[in-house]
Order: sequence, then structure tokens, then C-alpha cells
Amino acid sequence: MSLQPRRDKRAALADAVALVADGAVVALGGGLSARLPMAMVRELIRQGRRGLHLVGSAHSIDVDLLVAAGAVRRCEESYVGFEQDLGLAPAYRRAAEEGSIEVAESCCATILAQLRAAEMGLPFLPVRGVRGSDIGRLHPEYAEITCPFTGETLVAVPALRPDVALLHAPAGDRYGNLHLDQPYVLDERFASAARTVIATVDELTSSDEVAAAGVTIPGHLVAAVTEVPYGAHPSSCYPRYAYDRGHLREYVTAAQAGPDGAAKYLAAYVHGTGSEAGYRAAVGADRLSALGAWRESTAAWKGLFA
Amino acid sequence: MSVTLDEWFVVLLARTIRPSETVFHGFGSPCAQVAMHVARGTHAPDMVLVEGATYAVNPEPLFIPPTGNDASLTRGAAYTMRFEEFFDAAVRGDVDRMFLSGGQIDGFGNTNVTAIGPAGRPKVKLGGGGGGCNLAATIRHLTLWTTRHRSGRTLVETCDFITDMGHVTPLGTRAELGYTGGGPEWLITELGVFDFPAGRARLRQIFPDVSPAEVRLATGFDLEVAGDLRPVMPPSSAELAVLRAVDPLEVRRSEFSSSELSRAFTASAEPDCAC
Repeated sequence: MSLQPRRDKRAALADAVALVADGAVVALGGGLSARLPMAMVRELIRQGRRGLHLVGSAHSIDVDLLVAAGAVRRCEESYVGFEQDLGLAPAYRRAAEEGSIEVAESCCATILAQLRAAEMGLPFLPVRGVRGSDIGRLHPEYAEITCPFTGETLVAVPALRPDVALLHAPAGDRYGNLHLDQPYVLDERFASAARTVIATVDELTSSDEVAAAGVTIPGHLVAAVTEVPYGAHPSSCYPRYAYDRGHLREYVTAAQAGPDGAAKYLAAYVHGTGSEAGYRAAVGADRLSALGAWRESTAAWKGLFA
Repeated sequence: MSVTLDEWFVVLLARTIRPSETVFHGFGSPCAQVAMHVARGTHAPDMVLVEGATYAVNPEPLFIPPTGNDASLTRGAAYTMRFEEFFDAAVRGDVDRMFLSGGQIDGFGNTNVTAIGPAGRPKVKLGGGGGGCNLAATIRHLTLWTTRHRSGRTLVETCDFITDMGHVTPLGTRAELGYTGGGPEWLITELGVFDFPAGRARLRQIFPDVSPAEVRLATGFDLEVAGDLRPVMPPSSAELAVLRAVDPLEVRRSEFSSSELSRAFTASAEPDCAC
């Protein structure tokens, strides 16, 4: 497929997310508590998507919510959880233990190699690790090879070409040029490796403003862009907002109570809200704007996490 | 001078870092994260500190947040690596030390952060290994830690699943696997300190309120004890000052059970020395 020509790529969230088919291999941008594509995750759930194969590095509520909603067939991340702070991912854990999803746990460095192979149009790249780890047993597609130059045994991992990458950025223009703050995590790699890239931005700005801030992901890799304020909430999207630890705790507590608890959360914040405007109203404007307090002072920033 | 178990434990992690090393911790590792700043603020000012999930180089955060990739962790950083810059450095052998923990750890230092029970249908699905199953092959030294030794379920004879490779796996030794990294060098637990002579964990130091019999009871693999078993060295006032300054939210404490957090010590006057 050619690069995306320059055109106005603005789309309604529902139309952009409709580009994701049931059963698609979906790469999730951001990581842990930062810049997760949550507005698109919620819209996928509202649209009743099923059978997704999720790929990514270290993730949390994005994967867990999709699993809780029954949208996922297979998970291929290096980590899914809420770190030491809030612990294991409740729905992901439950589904893995019940056997209702396939978990092909992977490794950040392996996924990176697989994406780079796709970016370069190669069928595979080798990695030096993995052997001796049982992670390899979860991936019958890996193969041992002998280096023709050194004779070393290495592990060949196949190219990973996601059907679609879902990325969230603080700012972008109508042509899909995106500016991101660090950590970029795998977003740049996903953008080149995926067949289709869909982006949400907290704010659509002029091309001059994006250029001045720095284009992290060029529009020629992006198929559709949608403005969704607080589109990464409850994860962070600096410099606009810190992550909402209290909301994450609310979710984890609900989902830990079992499928009914997760369903109540989904009813309150996803199905019942109808749209992202409804989601923002359910969370509350004051609560959302308070997440910008990080820039006021160290005490205010620290206060968000206390 | 009063010190709590969590503080002392973090100081022991910090002391495994040698001056001028390039050191990394994974996410979800508040104790290791705080320890790296303690080392950089005391005996290892020239180390290259690569901060968790932000890959910020030598940042000076004003506090450690409860999540590993918050922008507060990049404050004052000389540079912030891209994801791939860090992983490339690690797999080509430019990273000297990484901290690794595990829900299970065996006597060879293999660790399991993937699943308890059979991997296909786990009894408990753990979070996962991040980058460990490649990084453990090439990073020069590993410092392992657990705050759950006393449970009896963490230091095990055999891991249900090996996520990250120690000194010997069922597929062979590190030399046989062609690994360029040296494997686990230290294992720090809330009961004591292990080293790995000949690739097997050996109890080398013990906390003053713990007996070797308690350690034996909590350890699932055959416990080897150093002939010159010693008490762990108390923290210095400088180490404690840096630790308390960098971790005002006390995120390190989230790794411990409440009974361990109640362990407090009055350290006798010790030389201000991390040696």
C-alpha cells in the first residue's frame, strides 16, 4: 500500500473506529498509564467489536477494558497490569485463568524486532534472547536459526504488521501530522508497521503549530484523525493532563469484584455515555481540568498522586 | 537513628550498584527505582541512571510517582531515550545492571512473572515480563529482589514458568545459550542477601531480627549459607537522607506486606560509608 496522500483526514470518532474490523490485529499506542488510546477503546466497545488480537508492550486499562467487554480473542503484550500501585489487571487475569482469551505473552524487545521487520519489509529479524525462557513456548511461530557469519544460534521472530494502530496524541493537524511528548513508547514503530493508522488528538491545531512543536508521526502514515478532548483519560497525555489515579482505582476496584462489577463500570462510563462527550460528562469537567494542575507546582503535581 | 525495613531494604538494593555503571529498572518496581536514586545520590554519582518506562537519563525527580512512565520522572533529565534506543543499548551490551523481581524465583535465579500454575490455564495470571526475556540475556549483571520471601511461595525449587533466565535453565547454561550477560549477581529479600557463587543462590547476609532457621523455612530450594554469614550493614545517614528526599510519597512501601512494614530498627552509630 502506498503512503497516505495529503488530504483532510478529519473523521467522526465512530467513522474512524469503524475502520477496525472484527478479528483485526490491533496495535495499542502509549503504554502503562500514558497516552493510551482510550477514546477509541471505548468506541470499539460501544460498537460491539469482537475477536480482536491485541498487540503492544506494557499496557493496563486499555487491554483490561476491551477484555472485560468481551472484545478480545488474543492478547500479545509484554505486560498487562496496574503496576505495584493497583496490582494485577482484573478482567485480563480472570479471562486468562478461565481460558476465555488466548494469552501469547511477549517481550518488549521481541515486539520491537518484529515491528522493525515489518517496517523494513523483511519477513523476520533475529533476537539474541528468548531461548531458555518459557516465553518461546507461547510462540510456536518463532524459529531458531544459525547466523551464516558467526555460527551463533539466534531466534528468528516474524514480522508483525498490525491491521490497525490506534494512537493518541496531544495535538495534530487535519492532515494527520501528530506531535507527541515523550514517552513515545512504540507509537512511531506502530505507525510505520501497521496497515492503517487511526489517531485521536486532544486538540486539532494548525499545521504551523504542529510543525513548530515538532512532527513526531507524519501525516503520510495516518489514515484518519479525530479530535477528542481527554481522549487518553484516565491515562495521561502530557503536557495537557496527568493520569487519573483515582479513576483507575475506581475501575480496578469495580473489575476486581467480578464480571458484574466490570459491567457496571462499562454501563456507567462506556455504553451508558453514548459518546465521548457523554464520557467526559460522566467523569466530570472539574475532575478533568484538575488533572492539568501538575504544571502549577510540585506540590500540586504530587498531590494528584497522593 | 531509626530505620524501617522498607528503607533498609532499598539501601541494600542501592549498594549492589557499582560506581559508573549504567543501570535500569523495569516498571512496577518502586523499590528498585528509589534505590537507583539513592545510589546516584551517594556512592555512585557518575552512574548512568535510566529511569524505568520513561527511559530518561539521569533525571532528578522531585518525587517518585506511583506509575513508572509519568512525566515527573523526566524532570531535569540530560536526555530521554526512545524505547528502541534503550533496548538497542541493552541488547548490544551497553547496560551494566538491571533490577528484576518475580512472583517465583529459583535457586539459579530464574524468575517467573508470567503465571502461577500451568501457563495454558494459569491458577494466577501475573502481569508479564516486560522486556526481561531478552534483556536478561545481554545486560551485564542482574540484581534480583523480592519483598515476599517469608510467604514461602516466592523462593521455589522450580519456577512454574521461566520468564527471565538466571544462571541455568532447562535448556542449558548461559554459556551454552550464547548469552553475553553474566546473570544474577545478587538477590535481596526482606530476610537477607544472597549472592550466586557458581551460579547458585547462597545466603550471605541476614537481617538482625531474622534467624537462619526462618530463612530456611521460607526457602523452597536447598539453602546454602555462607561460612561467614553476617548481618546486613545498616544504612548510613546519607543514604537515608537521599532516600527520604526522593520518595516523599513512600511508593517503595507498596511492595511490602503490612507486617513487614512494621519492622523498625534502631541502628547503632555506624560509619557514614556504603562500603
